[in-house]
Amino acid sequence: MSDRKITLEFNDQIVRQFLLASIIWGAVGMLVGVLIAAQLNFWQLNFGTPWLTWSRLRPLHTNAVIFALVGNMMFAGVYYSTQRLVKARLASDFLSQLHFWGWQLIIVAAACTLPFGLTRGKEYAELIWPINIAVALIWVVFGVNFFWTLAKRREPSLYVAIWFYISTIITIALLYIVNHLSIPTSWTHSYGLFGGVQDGLVQWWYGHNAVAFFLTTPILGIMYYFVPKAAERPVYSYRLSVVHFWSLVFLYIWAGPHHLLNTALPGWLQTLGMTFSLMLWAPSWGGMLNGLLTLRGAWHKLRTDPVLKFFAAGVTFYGMATFEGPLLSIKSVNALAHYTDWIIGHVHAGALGWNGFMAAGMIYWLVPRLWNKPLHSIGLANLHFWIGTVGILLYVAAMWTSGITQGLMLNATTEHGTVLAYPNFLDTLNTIRPLMLMRVIGGVLYLTGWLMMGYNVWQTLRGAARVNGTVEVFEADAAHAPAADLSLLGSFFNPPVLFSVIGCVCAFAWMFGGEFLGTVGLVGALLCAVLAFAHFESRGKKWGDWYDRLLMNSLPFTLLTFLAVVAGGLIQIIPTIVAHNAASTEDRKQIPYTPLELAGRDLYVRDGCYLCHSQMIRTLVPDVLRYGDYSRLGESIYDHPYQWGSKRNGPDLARVGGKYPNVWHLRHMEDPRSISVGSNMPPFAWLLKNPLDTSTLAKKISVQRMLGVPYPNWTPEQIDQRVTDQAKAIAADLKTAGAYVAPDKEIIALIAYLQQLGHAPIVPVAPAVATK
Amino acid sequence: MTPTPPNLPPEDPVRNHSFDGIQEYDKRLPNWWLMTLYVSIIFWVGYWAYYEWLHVGPSNSQRVEAALSQIEATKLANAPAVDDPNLWKMSRNPVFVEAGKATFVSNCVPCHLASMRGKSELATAIGPDLTDTKWIHGGKPTEIYDTITKGVLVKGMPTWGPVLGAKKITEVSAYILSKHNEGEPIELDPTALATAPPPVK
Repeated sequence: MSDRKITLEFNDQIVRQFLLASIIWGAVGMLVGVLIAAQLNFWQLNFGTPWLTWSRLRPLHTNAVIFALVGNMMFAGVYYSTQRLVKARLASDFLSQLHFWGWQLIIVAAACTLPFGLTRGKEYAELIWPINIAVALIWVVFGVNFFWTLAKRREPSLYVAIWFYISTIITIALLYIVNHLSIPTSWTHSYGLFGGVQDGLVQWWYGHNAVAFFLTTPILGIMYYFVPKAAERPVYSYRLSVVHFWSLVFLYIWAGPHHLLNTALPGWLQTLGMTFSLMLWAPSWGGMLNGLLTLRGAWHKLRTDPVLKFFAAGVTFYGMATFEGPLLSIKSVNALAHYTDWIIGHVHAGALGWNGFMAAGMIYWLVPRLWNKPLHSIGLANLHFWIGTVGILLYVAAMWTSGITQGLMLNATTEHGTVLAYPNFLDTLNTIRPLMLMRVIGGVLYLTGWLMMGYNVWQTLRGAARVNGTVEVFEADAAHAPAADLSLLGSFFNPPVLFSVIGCVCAFAWMFGGEFLGTVGLVGALLCAVLAFAHFESRGKKWGDWYDRLLMNSLPFTLLTFLAVVAGGLIQIIPTIVAHNAASTEDRKQIPYTPLELAGRDLYVRDGCYLCHSQMIRTLVPDVLRYGDYSRLGESIYDHPYQWGSKRNGPDLARVGGKYPNVWHLRHMEDPRSISVGSNMPPFAWLLKNPLDTSTLAKKISVQRMLGVPYPNWTPEQIDQRVTDQAKAIAADLKTAGAYVAPDKEIIALIAYLQQLGHAPIVPVAPAVATK
Repeated sequence: MTPTPPNLPPEDPVRNHSFDGIQEYDKRLPNWWLMTLYVSIIFWVGYWAYYEWLHVGPSNSQRVEAALSQIEATKLANAPAVDDPNLWKMSRNPVFVEAGKATFVSNCVPCHLASMRGKSELATAIGPDLTDTKWIHGGKPTEIYDTITKGVLVKGMPTWGPVLGAKKITEVSAYILSKHNEGEPIELDPTALATAPPPVK
């Protein structure tokens, strides 16, 4: 070997950029969070301004925290640790800068569109289609930069952090693209490819796994690098890393339907969502164990070192949230907790506790190293930790109490269980108001801590010199020896992979195979498990040797990860997509919206109504007593996007059509409190003033036709005529009730939409038709 | 999962490879952790078999339909005797009237106003006056009771039966009747019926 030593300089400039972006966007995202939390208590804070209204800002808050705070933090952590773990400078400075500036532009574009009602109407997937394309492209840039760096690595074997990064990159690409497939109707609007139940299923396959592969796996990778570094202790257990990595990436993807428990979603999917969430408990805790137990022998350092404090607390919050997740996925617990603040508490335990604290720990560790200067104030960092912890605890405790209280009140019945104890939704809302206020205080404390960090970092890097890390490597290492190469055959035809694949195939045969095939599958799966166990006991070393070789081959490793991730999605989504819509209508069949109703529906999406109002009456007695007959799949098959919702800050609207007169809706939108005393709904008075824009309606209907909605082939004139006729009828009705609104205003379209909700006719069940 | 050597060495060995100075122990998986994983897998097998393979357990809709039938049966068994004389009697009983007032305040006030005078007090109010002697859908106690229970959707009166239940509707009827006297004239308003708004679609 030619042993000429060279000094390799890492690209730490890109790390500095992402790190500072994370701090700044994090502050913005949290500030919006505090504002919208306060708006729920004080409706006046909506200021009657469309772009400051709760339902327009909520997507801005979630997108900022997920994609701007955690996204930038993740890129900083991934780029810093990967270069060091593989002993190679990032492959391309150009791609790194393109990644950074592209991502910041996307964030700015999001902030410039969401408050103005430009949205796709699906949670965490709200950005409009031109931005979607930019996100996908920049993600590919990130992927290319990352895998190219792996290809140039001087360290033959892949460390566990890298495994998690690989799973993140390929899975997010897959999820993001599938959930954002849409057909544009204009430069700022599109209809998603999927509708109704298909859309709901794909949305939560994406939404749940955005949590898994955007907020969890990359941060676990970051934990595996920064925690042992900061604690200066070895990682607790390598084999735990192996087992919990593979079980986590395989199981996570199946759990999406737990967001749709007790809804009209087919039962088998709900069962998968619940049981796979329970099976996720142990793999998630594997990560927590490896994080916390790595601190063994370093606990005394927690007293003085804010970095370790943040890491220890962050990992603990991860453990809490991943225990709570499976708990909430149990159908009976979900019946109480879903649509309430408990879920808000759960996600903030994760976002503030796990993501926010891991970010803070990483930032405090990195800043002195990236700028070669001690942190300005350790004391201030410690204060950040304590104020942040108190903030989270206040927040989470308030939301738990609020969620359980409201859930119990909403579900409470009286008179031998035949009548709701609190028929008025507002009674339950006004009970939890003090807790919602406590949440605001918790959020303000947490934001204060974050701003302290911003100040601390700014003081540190003022006048400090930027330094880039270096490492000494042998020149000959560059092309690492191919001795450990694994052929494609070797990566798949070996005991661990074969046992896993055959076991899974048998299990699937059992699950979907009916009586005979099912029995064969069950016996096969059990046999496979026993054989695998026996083989491992006797030839365990072979398994370990094979895995060591796999770790030196990033392509086979990536392929196997992709296989593990994609299985759950395929099995859940393909049957739902392939089955013709008619087969899954139960005994209801939606009538396509009239043009005016469709225009009204787009306003409903624009103004974010779905963020507070569900359109899904669950198969639960309290839901049926409160909102009417439970929802059937057929009632929303033509909904692009589906609007089942995920949170009820207000009542369900699935059957609100015809429940109140037109004038009720008019007055309610103009000034909610004139009708619903004590309501916290923002006023939407602009709907009464804005003229309805029907210029793209013909295009929208033609796109709906492409998506399979059975509209006749109307000419634009026919569409206009229908809009005018229906609008005039509604305006005339409002006039008889004493309200004068011109028929061309937006409110007329929205009323038209709301008044037909829940009016899908009952059709006879014809199972024979389903097979056609 | 792996067999453990019976006696662990005093300091656990680390793997013979380090990454950027990070070393790794290779400790065995905690038993309780493995148990958690295995038990959750066994639970999945049992739960799936019970509900989805053998179809022993009821589906969501079967379960809710059964519960709703039970509620229907309970309601029928406990249906209060609603007739004109009884409702008049209740309207003079403060217990019923006070309970009815509470229900009225939290559910009916938005349209009929706290004074119960609706459109007579405020032209923009949605609901009609309930204190005068004009009635749109009948002014006999049982007719009032029926109007509340079934609603008049076309006129904007919601269906309160499933929401409030028979007991509360009886009380609200008593509260409304407490503003009236038995035997007072009932004027049916024919114009109100004639000007029913066009259907929504």
